[in-house]
Amino acid sequence: MISRASAVLCGIILSLIFLSGCSTKVETFHISEEYDFSYIKRVAVLPFTNLTDNRNAGEIIRQLVISELLASGLVDVVHTGNVTRALKRQNITDINSMSVSQIRALGKDLKVQAVILGTVEKYGETRIGAVSAPEVTITLMMVETDGGSIVWSVTKTRGGANFLARHFGAKPETLSETALRVVREAIQTLYVY
Amino acid sequence: MISLKNVVLMVLFFSVLAGCGTDRFYVHRDSTLEVPKKVAVLPFENLTQDPLAAERVRRVVIAELLVRGIDVVEPGEVLRVLRESDIPNLQSISIKDIKALGRELEVDGIIMGSVSAYGIRRGIEGAYPEVTLHLMLLDPSTGRILWSAWRTEGGPTFWMSYFGTKGATLNETAKRVVRDAIDTLFAKGES
Repeated sequence: MISRASAVLCGIILSLIFLSGCSTKVETFHISEEYDFSYIKRVAVLPFTNLTDNRNAGEIIRQLVISELLASGLVDVVHTGNVTRALKRQNITDINSMSVSQIRALGKDLKVQAVILGTVEKYGETRIGAVSAPEVTITLMMVETDGGSIVWSVTKTRGGANFLARHFGAKPETLSETALRVVREAIQTLYVY
Repeated sequence: MISLKNVVLMVLFFSVLAGCGTDRFYVHRDSTLEVPKKVAVLPFENLTQDPLAAERVRRVVIAELLVRGIDVVEPGEVLRVLRESDIPNLQSISIKDIKALGRELEVDGIIMGSVSAYGIRRGIEGAYPEVTLHLMLLDPSTGRILWSAWRTEGGPTFWMSYFGTKGATLNETAKRVVRDAIDTLFAKGES
C-alpha cells in the first residue's frame, strides 16, 4: 500500500512524462481573416509535390488529405480522376508554376471554389542514435479560384518516438499513423472557421 | 490510500492509451446511404513497394464484401470492361467513365481504393506488420463519392513487446484493416 502523497507524486511524474516526452510536433499556419470560407463548398485536391525519397509519398498524403476533408464534412472533394483530366485539358503540366488565370480556368472546369496544393517534405523513418522513428512533414495551401489568392496554409511536422514508447513499451506510432495525425491536425486548423 | 496495484493499472492504462489507433470514415451528407446490392471493385492503386500489395488487398476486400452479402462482379469481367472502355489508367478515370462502367457492369456501386502500406516494418520494438488502406464507394448514377474510409493498423502492442505474445501476421492485419473499414459502410453516419 502507498500513501495518497505517493499517488499524487506518481500522477505528477506521469503528467511530466506526457508533457516532456511527447514526440516533436511543429505547426505553422495562416488563415485569411477577410475571406468567407462558407463560400467554399467544393474543392479539388491537386497532385502533391513530393520532396522525399519515397516516390509514392505525395500520393499517399494526397489520399489522406482527401479522406480527412471528406470525413471533416467541411467540403465536398472532386474525384481525383476528374482532376487529372482537367489538368490535361488546361495544359497544366507543372502544378508549382500555375498562373492565376490557369487556377481560375481549373476552378471553372471542375466547378470548385478552391484548390488544395500540397508538398510532402518528409515521409519516412528517421534515425536518432540507435532508435528509428517515423517522421512526416507536410505543407498544405488552399487557393481560392476567383482571385487566385492563398486563403489558408499550414505546415506541420511530427516525428520521433515518444517517451512512453521508448521507455515503457507503449505502442509506438507507425508511419501511417504519424501521417494520419499530421494531416488530421493540419486540416483541423480549418475548423477555426 | 491507493494500492500499488491501482497505480500499476493506471500506468498500464496510460501506456495502452498512448498507442491507441485511429480511423475515420465519411458518408455523403445528402445521401441516405443504402448499402449497394451489387458492386464492382476496380483494381486498387498501389502506393507500396510490394508490386502485388494492391491486388492482394483487393481480393481480401472482395471476399469481405461477399461475406457481408454484397454481390461482387467477377474481377476478370471488371478488367475486360476497363480494357474495352479505353480508360488509359485508373488515376485518370473520370465521372463519365464511372457512369459508363456502372451501366456496363450493371452495378449500383463502384469501389475504388489505394493501399499505401503493406509489409513488415522494422521499428524500435522489432518487426511488425503494417497495412494502410483507403476505400471509396462511388455512385455510378452520379459519380459522387458516397462513402470513404481510411484505415491503418500495425505496430507492436504492449503485450507483444513485453510479454512476447503472438503478434498478428501481415495477412491477419490486412484482413482486420479491411473488415474494420467495411464495418463503417454498414455503420452509416459520420465518425
